[in-house]
Amino acid sequence: MSHLLDPKAGATYLLMGNEAIVRGALEAGVNVASGYPGTPSSEIIENLSRIAKERNIYVEWSVNEKVALEVAAAASFAGLRSLCAMKQNGVNVASDFLLHLVYSGTRGGIVLVSCDDPGALSSVNEGESRYFARQLEMPLLEPGNFQEAKDMTKWAFELSEQLKQIVMLRSVTRMSHASGNVSYGALPETKRKAEFKFKGFILDPEEGIITSAPVEWRHKEQQDKIRKAKEIFEESPFNTYEGPDKPELLIITSSACYLYSKEAVEVLNVQDRVGILKLGTTWPLPPKLVTHYLARTEQVMIVEEVIPFMEENVKVLAAEKAGEIGAKKFFGKNEGVLPSVGEMNPDFVISAISSILGIDYSPVSKEYDQSAKLSAFVHAPARDQVFCPGCPHRASFFAIRRAIELDGRNGFVCGDIGCYTMAVRPTGFETLKTVHSMGSGMGLASGFGKLGLFGMDQPTFAVCGDSTFYHAVIPALINAVHNKSNVTLVILDNGGTAMTGFQPHPGQDFNVMGESMPAIDMARICEAIGARVEKRNPLDLEDTLHTLLEMMEDKNGVKVLILSQYCALSPQRRGKKDYELSVDETVCLGEECGCGRFCTRIFRCPGLVWNKEKAKAEIDQVICVGCGVCADICPRGAIKRKEVA
Amino acid sequence: MEEKKLTRGQQEVREKVISLGLCTGCGACINLCPYFRSHRGKTSILFPCTVENGRCFAFCPKIEVDLDNLSLSIFDQPYDGNALGRYRSIFTAKAGEKIKSFEAQAGGTVSSLVYYALTKGYISGAVLTDRRGLEPIPRYVTNAEDVFSCSQSKYTAAPTLAVVNEVVEKGEVNIGVVGTPCQILALAQMKTREKPYPISLSIGLFCTWAIDFRLFEPFISRWIQASHIRKVDIPPPPAEILQIFTSQGEKIEIPLSEIRPLVPKGCAYCMDMTSEFSDISVGVLEGRPDMNTLIVRTERGQKLVDEAIKEGYLIVSDMPKENLEHLLWAAGNKKQRALKRASDENLINCESLSYLRLKGELLNQLTQ
Ligand SMILES: Cc1cc2nc3c(=O)[nH]c(=O)nc-3n(C[C@H](O)[C@H](O)[C@H](O)COP(=O)(O)OP(=O)(O)OC[C@H]3O[C@@H](n4cnc5c(N)ncnc54)[C@H](O)[C@@H]3O)c2cc1C
Ligand code: SF4
Ligand code: SF4
Ligand code: SF4
Ligand code: SF4
Repeated sequence: MSHLLDPKAGATYLLMGNEAIVRGALEAGVNVASGYPGTPSSEIIENLSRIAKERNIYVEWSVNEKVALEVAAAASFAGLRSLCAMKQNGVNVASDFLLHLVYSGTRGGIVLVSCDDPGALSSVNEGESRYFARQLEMPLLEPGNFQEAKDMTKWAFELSEQLKQIVMLRSVTRMSHASGNVSYGALPETKRKAEFKFKGFILDPEEGIITSAPVEWRHKEQQDKIRKAKEIFEESPFNTYEGPDKPELLIITSSACYLYSKEAVEVLNVQDRVGILKLGTTWPLPPKLVTHYLARTEQVMIVEEVIPFMEENVKVLAAEKAGEIGAKKFFGKNEGVLPSVGEMNPDFVISAISSILGIDYSPVSKEYDQSAKLSAFVHAPARDQVFCPGCPHRASFFAIRRAIELDGRNGFVCGDIGCYTMAVRPTGFETLKTVHSMGSGMGLASGFGKLGLFGMDQPTFAVCGDSTFYHAVIPALINAVHNKSNVTLVILDNGGTAMTGFQPHPGQDFNVMGESMPAIDMARICEAIGARVEKRNPLDLEDTLHTLLEMMEDKNGVKVLILSQYCALSPQRRGKKDYELSVDETVCLGEECGCGRFCTRIFRCPGLVWNKEKAKAEIDQVICVGCGVCADICPRGAIKRKEVA
Repeated sequence: MEEKKLTRGQQEVREKVISLGLCTGCGACINLCPYFRSHRGKTSILFPCTVENGRCFAFCPKIEVDLDNLSLSIFDQPYDGNALGRYRSIFTAKAGEKIKSFEAQAGGTVSSLVYYALTKGYISGAVLTDRRGLEPIPRYVTNAEDVFSCSQSKYTAAPTLAVVNEVVEKGEVNIGVVGTPCQILALAQMKTREKPYPISLSIGLFCTWAIDFRLFEPFISRWIQASHIRKVDIPPPPAEILQIFTSQGEKIEIPLSEIRPLVPKGCAYCMDMTSEFSDISVGVLEGRPDMNTLIVRTERGQKLVDEAIKEGYLIVSDMPKENLEHLLWAAGNKKQRALKRASDENLINCESLSYLRLKGELLNQLTQ
């Protein structure tokens, strides 16, 4: 039995933040969970899927975040409790539906979990999901430790039912992926039955139809819910204060920044001078509570990551109450005391407090710090990100890059989101020239492909992964075909959502619970849309190259090349060497003309290493996964591959 | 002063040849390594190479060509700037009676000599240039009968030498090659290295310029489908036309003024009209579309021609005086124009890398 299913109330386990959220959902009796994979959120749906059968939960990886939220909302409309998980930019995708959902309101408790990634540790943005709470007027909760992650999730379902509104719970990478002790509550016996009721009075929140119209009426209802949330938040145990009665400096913080602030105060030993107001309910702010603490100090610092969201909200409140509590001196991002990009850390908070309170504290000398930063920047390429040994993307980009050079018209590739995003770097031969959100590569290519009118003759490609294809590429592909844009889409089909851990997608014949499901054939979709479709194995380098070259010559609209090969780490290939590789030293040219260390300098599979003494290439047998591709790139045939029986 | 290390590799070829537009796609740098490759008549660099003494640099006919050195190693004589290069004898020629009839460009001299050299074992294989549609496709031919399927001029610049590199790498020896002047120049550089290429026969074509295949294909498609082309010809002056003979028996004529814009820039810097570093050079004979001009340059070339005549594979006669005069005039003209242009653009005898090197006085004399 999974430790997440221990029914004993009071049992304590070391849980990852995302597991704590799962346990909270289980304690709330969640019935339906959906999501789209994205670090740092993926473990929530994964963990739920593993215990889905035992707890009679329906779990799915949906095709994208918007559909995921719609799936979860349907459960809520039918009176069930549901959870929907995604990463920060997933909320952007879901936001169109979300705007309407907050007007229409919900029935069964529904919680949207957004895991943000300050510092973009595994993202190409550090987008803020918190603003959606304010912009779309829905309650926002942010756990400040692991116990709270569990408790708050459970409570979020209750709050949602109480308000008849979706509740957003926001975590961050350091919360989702770090671990701490969590003491369990009881697991309920839930026997909710799903039924969608719509025959009641049209405006009845429980039995009427569910829609955002009449807009003004619904919008007012929605704002009443927010007013009610404020009242509830005034009493919430997730908002805590620690520190002196009248602090010299009041820190207002939330989420992981609470831990950094606490540490900073302890390191500086200023517990008697600095107070910390930790908020768990960050939107709407509980006005009385916040005013109460603002009144007791003259100086306020807001500690939060990335954009000054809470800071703005607190400042507005302080301005409104200035008549009662007097004007305060604020310290935050707008004052330049704390950074508004990247992750927060205790050091930033320490130096901010020291400068405000005039404490002389310097953990590391400024010069050292600066030179460390400089060298980290200068030497960064040395620790470059690379594709794994045997990664099919390396082979795919090797072909694409060569095709573009051979064609010689300055062709380029619009990239997308996945492991293959790394192809902006030398590991992918610097092939990608644009990278934005999921599906944007194809959309951009569709646009570029129409610029022939203005003299552009550069061949245009888009690449996307298989999972991305279903997520957001299809509409852009339709657009390109319908508008006769002259582009080639290369689908890097590695048999799963590899970057986030092989979650299944609609192209596969099984789902997250291991049940067999109909696979949606992407080649047939592309053909039905009207594109010319070819399929190749990217490990066959020359075949792939020739196909690409030929497709570049084909000026009849949209071409799709599906390069299918399992990811080197995929369950299908893991631990199985197809070939035993070796380098014949007597044949290897090494640095000489005719090679110039081609395998280790250009192709750069980590399985290939340069032996400086011998001035020859070698195979690192531990790292090599035996894909055999390098045997085809060696100009001398010095890399030998032997099939493993 | 710190001396700048002079590397002689890919980067120099990229900067001084390809980027300046001097590349004629000859193929001398192709198939040596994974970096250079030719596609549809264009030479591309796929990835950067850091080797400091590269064969791409050594072979390329558009960078650091030392004419004296080359002439000394091929003819034991320095470069003298003669309009036709160094040679032993000059004739008019055509296929002999032993050669069955085939579609030659002119007199069929080239194919006949290659056929003869192959059947008699002078060479074990020949690198020739075939075509697919309008695209020139170099081939290694070992069966003498296949020589005729590669006959006729492809007026598009071809990566013929790519196949030379390929077969040398495979260990072939006694190789014969037919090529244009830039190719023959590169071939001479291949033959005169420390480890010389095993080239036993080089037959050079006359050439004023070639056409860029990538421009030619869409241009021609306005008139005819490439698969319907039987033969392309550029009759000697004063015709000023390019003729296309179709498989339906039609003839299309296109004024050369429309073709010249399709010529690669590199051809304008080529000072060699008659493949001066070959064993034997062959061109058309003005006024006689069924005959060739034949220049014999080396002892080896002489021997092959003599035997071929003796055994009935080749017929030669004296070169009429006015033909020779006109040839000298045309070749001298090309040489002067190219040298002047290159020298005006500072590409000859520079301190750093040059396109050409030759004696200063000779250069002055030739560009007067
Ligand atoms: C690009 C080009 C320009 C030319 N310009 C002139 C000119 O200005 N004046 C002149 O007198 N003659 C010129 N010629 C030469 C002429 O067209 C004939 O090739 C020559 O007279 C030999 O005739 P033939 O009947 O003996 O040839 P054939 O017996 O028909 O044999 C032709 C040979 O040429 C080779 N060949 C064909 N195309 C190419 C190519 N693109 N690159 C390398 N090899 C090739 C083939 O392999 C074949 O062996 C030119 C040739 C070419 C290819
Ligand atoms: S193994 Fe092949 S590619 Fe690698 S250095 Fe040796 S010759 Fe070059
Ligand atoms: S076979 Fe070659 S390319 Fe494949 S993993 Fe091993 S070293 Fe890398
Ligand atoms: S390996 Fe040699 S021929 Fe190839 S690019 Fe480098 S120097 Fe030139
Ligand atoms: S002229 Fe010939 S050798 Fe020089 S770069 Fe071009 S193809 Fe290569």
